[in-house]
Amino acid sequence: MSALAAQVAAFLAARDAGAVDAAILQPAEPFLDMAGEDLRRRIFLTESETGETLCLRPEWTIPVCLDHIASQAGTPRRYSYCGEVFRQQRAGAVEFLQAGIEDLGETDTASADARSLADAHALVQTVLPDQSVAITLGDQAVFEEVLTALGLPRGWRRRLVRAFGSPDQLSAALEDIANPVKRGILAEEAGEQIAQSDEETIATLLRGEMESAGFSPSAGRTPEDIAHRLLEKASLASLRLPAAELRALRIFLSVKVSLERATDALYAFGRGAGITLDGAVEGFARRSDALREHGLTLAEIRYDAAFGRPLDYYTGLVFEIATADGERPLIGGGRYDRLLTLLGAADPIPGVGFSAWLDRIEAARGGAA
Amino acid sequence: MTVRLAIPSKGRLRDEVLERLEAANLRVELPEDDRSYRARIAGLDGVEVSFLSASEIARELGAGRVDLGVTGEDLLRETWADAETRVPILSRLGFGRADVVVAVPEIWLDVETMADLDDVAAEFRQRHGRRLTIATKYWRLTQQFFSGSHGIQVYRIVESLGATEGAPTAGSADLIVDITTTGATLRANHLKILSDGVILRSEACLAVFASERSEVDDALIREIVERLNESVSAEA
Repeated sequence: MSALAAQVAAFLAARDAGAVDAAILQPAEPFLDMAGEDLRRRIFLTESETGETLCLRPEWTIPVCLDHIASQAGTPRRYSYCGEVFRQQRAGAVEFLQAGIEDLGETDTASADARSLADAHALVQTVLPDQSVAITLGDQAVFEEVLTALGLPRGWRRRLVRAFGSPDQLSAALEDIANPVKRGILAEEAGEQIAQSDEETIATLLRGEMESAGFSPSAGRTPEDIAHRLLEKASLASLRLPAAELRALRIFLSVKVSLERATDALYAFGRGAGITLDGAVEGFARRSDALREHGLTLAEIRYDAAFGRPLDYYTGLVFEIATADGERPLIGGGRYDRLLTLLGAADPIPGVGFSAWLDRIEAARGGAA
Repeated sequence: MTVRLAIPSKGRLRDEVLERLEAANLRVELPEDDRSYRARIAGLDGVEVSFLSASEIARELGAGRVDLGVTGEDLLRETWADAETRVPILSRLGFGRADVVVAVPEIWLDVETMADLDDVAAEFRQRHGRRLTIATKYWRLTQQFFSGSHGIQVYRIVESLGATEGAPTAGSADLIVDITTTGATLRANHLKILSDGVILRSEACLAVFASERSEVDDALIREIVERLNESVSAEA
């Protein structure tokens, strides 16, 4: 074990989180299912004799969560890990050490969030004591609350939340709902027909057509799914995002302030936009207070309202810690309240955690020497 | 020193390639033994012609085991992530045209665009306990198009090596990415192409394995490309 890995392991052992291990060879399904097919070209896949697709462990959060579900361990519970992960890269190493802490089942979200970020920060201070680092923080829950408070219909909210964290996707989505493209003639005809009908009538019609075309009405999208979305789409088609709301969203997404000033900035934004922000921003404020109690300097943390991760299991806090001049984060973390349910947990289990790239930390240590 | 040129060994594509080469004054002298897979070009010494399947050509070309190859652009891009630099296209031959497209069941009246599909894919897991599945033999093109160009992350690909267009009715996938010339097979299977669902407009191409070569070989390749391009533009 390298000096760095030993130092990190010692740090984790003192953080009240049970050390876990996971097999290097993992079933690939959960990773592809959660992160999507794009992951396929970035991981190392192989197959068992029985045809099961396996991969070299590409990250730790999913194995830790799967292990937690399988062991039916009680919550709240904190896990720590330190071990290799494997990623395909065009240049450079393909095997890295990652270490981190996953905090599962803690229902006091603000305090668990703060503890995760404080742990991550303390880890960096331990292994890079002489370097100044930059912390960036984002919060999807605040974005979702803004969308709801602006009164956007559900279909638009879902689309925007999905794009949150990807500037290109988000601006494309905003563009689309601000200037809806004219739809095809066929769709317009269908639109006029369906506008006269209710969901059940349409579904019955679709069921008949599916059966005569040879599609199983139960194998995939059901007639009810299609009818439901058809009506929702028809109701959105005549709408466009009003200019005032679009402007408000753009202003919100451009908010970049220190965490010390972030809560005030969010309330000020709300007043300016004529909307009331409460639950998510209150949670945001409580988390900031908890971070201060952990000894973090809020003035040195940057809040970026547009910062997020476009994966459907991230739900709230996201953060990154980088060296002041570094492009790639040394640590990434966030809240993933939907992940354990997606992985098969019977009851919802909230989760928050972070992961450190030890190779990048090692490089940053070399650079400092 | 030889330039190794691979051309399709079977079917209409082989015939069209041979015709095109002949029209470009690059007649392939077929071997006496028609089971043989090697030939030469009349009046052009230093070119060794081999006959391979179109997908093998894409693979062999990218691995540098042949210098030049005629095959579909879809196969080049599907086989190599870095196709543009590894196996650059020197000449587009104007036949073997086909589109790689995203097609969904016609009955999905609410889905016309990739944005619709994004919406459907996001909702699907909640309602059905699995991700939306796409049957295709084009793993790479599908990933690039869905994840790269359209930011759709949550879907699964199921490999399909034949009769892909039948997958949705067979219940083995929800939609497909496939190659089509007229769209007739898709329509016969009650599938429709999304309005922004054309991933690639493919055609037969002459491509080269990018590498350092002797002057003689470089000149030979230039000569072949020139003759081909002249004949293509004469026809156009």
